[in-house]
Amino acid sequence: MVISLHQLAAACYLLATLGTTLGLALPSARLARLAVWTLVAAALLHAAAFAGLHTLDPPPPLTARPAAVSLMAWLAVAFALVLLRRGRLESLAGLVAPFAFAGTLYASATLGGVEPVVAEVGGRWPHLHVILASAGLSLLGVAGVAGLLFLAEVRQLKAKRPVAPRRPLPSLEALDRVNVIALALGFPLLTLGVVAGMIWTHGLTGRVWDGGAHATWTGIAWAIYGALVVARFSFGWRGREAAACAAAGFAFLCFAVLGVEALL
Amino acid sequence: MKILLAGMNHRTAPIEVRERFAVDEPGPWLAKLVASDEIDEAVLLSTCNRVEVVVTTRQLDAARHRLRSFFLRELGRGEALPEALSPHGILYEHVDSDAVRHLLRVSSSIDSLVIGEPQILGQVKDAYRSAAESGASGPVLSRLFAAAFAAAKRVRHETRIAERPVSVARVAVDLARQIFETLEDKHALLVGAGEMIEMALAALRGAGLADVSVANRTPSHAAALAQRFGASAHGLDELPALTARADVILSCIAAERPLLDVPLFEEALRARRRQPIFVIDIGVPRNVDPDVNRLDDVYLYDLDDLGGVAEANAEERRRETIRAEGIVQEEVERFGGWLTALAAVPTIRRVRDRAEAVRQAELAKWLARTGADEDGRRAVEALTRSIVNKILHAPVSRLREQAEREDGLAYLEAARVLFALDDPAAPGADADAAGDTPREPERGEEAGDPERKRRPRDETPERA
Repeated sequence: MVISLHQLAAACYLLATLGTTLGLALPSARLARLAVWTLVAAALLHAAAFAGLHTLDPPPPLTARPAAVSLMAWLAVAFALVLLRRGRLESLAGLVAPFAFAGTLYASATLGGVEPVVAEVGGRWPHLHVILASAGLSLLGVAGVAGLLFLAEVRQLKAKRPVAPRRPLPSLEALDRVNVIALALGFPLLTLGVVAGMIWTHGLTGRVWDGGAHATWTGIAWAIYGALVVARFSFGWRGREAAACAAAGFAFLCFAVLGVEALL
Repeated sequence: MKILLAGMNHRTAPIEVRERFAVDEPGPWLAKLVASDEIDEAVLLSTCNRVEVVVTTRQLDAARHRLRSFFLRELGRGEALPEALSPHGILYEHVDSDAVRHLLRVSSSIDSLVIGEPQILGQVKDAYRSAAESGASGPVLSRLFAAAFAAAKRVRHETRIAERPVSVARVAVDLARQIFETLEDKHALLVGAGEMIEMALAALRGAGLADVSVANRTPSHAAALAQRFGASAHGLDELPALTARADVILSCIAAERPLLDVPLFEEALRARRRQPIFVIDIGVPRNVDPDVNRLDDVYLYDLDDLGGVAEANAEERRRETIRAEGIVQEEVERFGGWLTALAAVPTIRRVRDRAEAVRQAELAKWLARTGADEDGRRAVEALTRSIVNKILHAPVSRLREQAEREDGLAYLEAARVLFALDDPAAPGADADAAGDTPREPERGEEAGDPERKRRPRDETPERA
């Protein structure tokens, strides 16, 4: 049932992705709006799937990668939908959909293989680590998508090829604002997630730093984001540099958190 | 009944000729037109790009002469045209489906100077309203203009003909919207106080821009424009401070070298913590150094850039006209079906009149032969009427249905032959001669106008 709900949510995310792509290509503001409503339906199904995990006895641990990835995808979609109140951001929400699709598809394919853990070592810290880090990552992920969109639009404008007025794209101003909000909320959450992870590691090994690839690369990604936050809020970075850093930083963070153990 | 459209537009007559024929108040002109015998209904459309009259008539040639005289003698006041122009060159005529198609293309903005411009539909609506108020339009033109409005609505909704802006001012507004979420909280700086600046400012104001400063070499000109738009006036010496405040800069001032250069913008960006600036340079020669566009947070568009976008948009609109023409053709055919069905009305009436005449004649013969009393006469009268109605019901219904089809005229022709409507020796033919000649609906008939215009028929009806 939980896996079926995940699959259903994944299907809806895929539909939202297609709707957004078609909305941008045709262009059709109506299709873009329809894609947003599909995204809302997908997020509700996804929430139900996630709640369903807790009905299992025993529930799969949140520290398991499929559950963490699923949570991250849901939080990113929820954040993107909340941002719709801040401007013409339908396309941004729609462009988060493919990431959510990949996350839920991965979760639905791998959740069945997760070994249930009766009592997780470390008390609340593992859950806090995953929840806080996932929330931070999802926000920074949305900032990354907004950054990519910003760069694409700037490129068009600078090349004197402005987009069709009915193409449902956000303004540069709205995208830059998303970048600020996501960074202002995402970086502290990521920091708290890292701290919770260190406390958890300390409980397990007696050290706050285990020296593993995951911890090392995450630390580097955190430092990069830290530098971006300082540059953005202290030195007035904005626009193209901020967007490029948000996009590059998120790609690096994805690699550090999700890819490093698989690839290195 | 024929539909005739005559007029001139931006393709056939230059502005100095069109303005001589332009009409502010069409009512009195329409009254003159419909007072003439050859014209039943009329609507006059006068815009800066066209002056056209569409009429319904049963005397096509006479109506043609009347409209030509109307244009040249009445609207043109008999004044001579410029040497290179002839009345035949500037005036065009369209009849029936060509006239319908032309009007539908005009109202759908396919025939406009700027394809897809939205004003023409409002102007066509005003023209029709004026004709309706002066009693010059009737059932046929009412239906025709309803078809024109329907076609325009479909074209606007089903194609992208109006999607991309083609005026420099509208392009500037759309570009500003790609950079800024809203213009309501933005500050604009206008450098110069000429007509181009005023047009662009009007468009930006229409998009919600509230806070405006005007800087000009001649402060009195800046003050005049500033007063008109509720802005503040400044001299050019204040440009550095004004640039740092401005989110949108519009520049069109006579200057031999750029007034706004890279160092000025670098300083402004530092002062405004790198908030973006959208710069529209419509000056010739350019007022803004082109290298300014290399700065990250400055988006500079000069006249060529804006014109390039506008031209690309115009090309897109031209492509969309192919789809729009398809829609217009559908609506022309739909109107043609209605018009053909209208032509069925006199035929059907004549069929009924013939049958009634035969019934009356046979009834009279029977009464003379039998000397039946009043009760018997009433019974036979009811019986014969019922028989005639039942026999005619199916053919008349089918005729009405088929008349709306593309080959409807063939059915009407068949009915005329089968019922010998054109044979004066046929039974019941004296019904026609008795003065109950079929006529087509006249002005006000469909709308229930009690003071409808009646005119003796002087010729066989011309089918549409």
